[in-house]
Amino acid sequence: MWLLRIFIGAIFIVSGLGKLLSPYQNFLYVIQAYQLLPSGLEVLAAQVFPWIELIVGTFVFLGLWTRPSLRAAVVLFGAFVVVVGQALLRHLSLDNCGCFGEWFHLRPQTVIVMDSVSLLLTMALLSALPQTKKFSLDFYMDRV
Amino acid sequence: MKKWQLTLGLVVVLVGAVVGAKILLAPKQAVINPQDARAKGNPHARVKIVEFVDFQCPACAWGIEYLKTLFARHPNDLYIQVRYFPLTSLHRHALISALYSECAARQGKFWALDELMIPQQSQWAPLINPQPVFDAMARQIGMDMGQLNSCLGSEDARKVINDEKSMGQSLGIASTPTYFINNKMVVGTKSLQEEMKTYFPKG
Repeated sequence: MWLLRIFIGAIFIVSGLGKLLSPYQNFLYVIQAYQLLPSGLEVLAAQVFPWIELIVGTFVFLGLWTRPSLRAAVVLFGAFVVVVGQALLRHLSLDNCGCFGEWFHLRPQTVIVMDSVSLLLTMALLSALPQTKKFSLDFYMDRV
Repeated sequence: MKKWQLTLGLVVVLVGAVVGAKILLAPKQAVINPQDARAKGNPHARVKIVEFVDFQCPACAWGIEYLKTLFARHPNDLYIQVRYFPLTSLHRHALISALYSECAARQGKFWALDELMIPQQSQWAPLINPQPVFDAMARQIGMDMGQLNSCLGSEDARKVINDEKSMGQSLGIASTPTYFINNKMVVGTKSLQEEMKTYFPKG
């Protein structure tokens, strides 16, 4: 379980870093394609969201505040499923999901499957917290 | 060390590392070249735009038409320069359409070809081979077909396109259309319209 926790954390770190190291306008363009938010909120989301991914990912990866950070990861994966799902239902033209910034280009159909599986795996991690916390900072700090 | 101290320290390190990396990797600015055959308008205009386009990208076509309309209304206030950014993995005619454009530019016919190629994008984009259509356009605008054919086969024209795409990548461009409006990066047509409204509120 702890290996899975590290993997889930790494997904968020890669995803957040990919967006943060690219000009935010590139991610803004991706958000605009989903046609879900008003213009002002799109800009805010493009600038703030990658930081949330990076911070949540790092906490999950290291196992710091494991329970709340895994809950945050569940919320994030759930939100991805909803956002990509509504775009697919509305037949919006998306060349790629924009999930990993410039680093990988994935089709939305692939992403919704990946996100759904990741959501279930993260929920499984939450339900087996003692095993999930192995080799985590929480595990170390709770013993000190 | 307490857990909260570790948390705070970790967040500070993360933010510092990312901000530092962004400063180190900060893109250069898009260069405006007033001698360019792919530029139009007043070189001293208050709004200077460098647009990176893929001629097969529908959003690019929309953006080109939008800027054309705006330029017709404000010819002295705009300076527009086109740069190539063919997305060859997405659009099979991205490179050949850029090559025809570059070869037209070498004969001083870039904008004339643009006037035909962009509005007809939906007609040539689905073709297996759009070259006969591009050739017909070239003849229509009076291009020298001998020069065109030797240009299309030249490595030099391809190099210009590849170099501009590399330059775009070094500027942080990931998709088209991307604009630099008075050096501010703007991606996509929605942001283009919003940005241009700040300069031309009445359109």
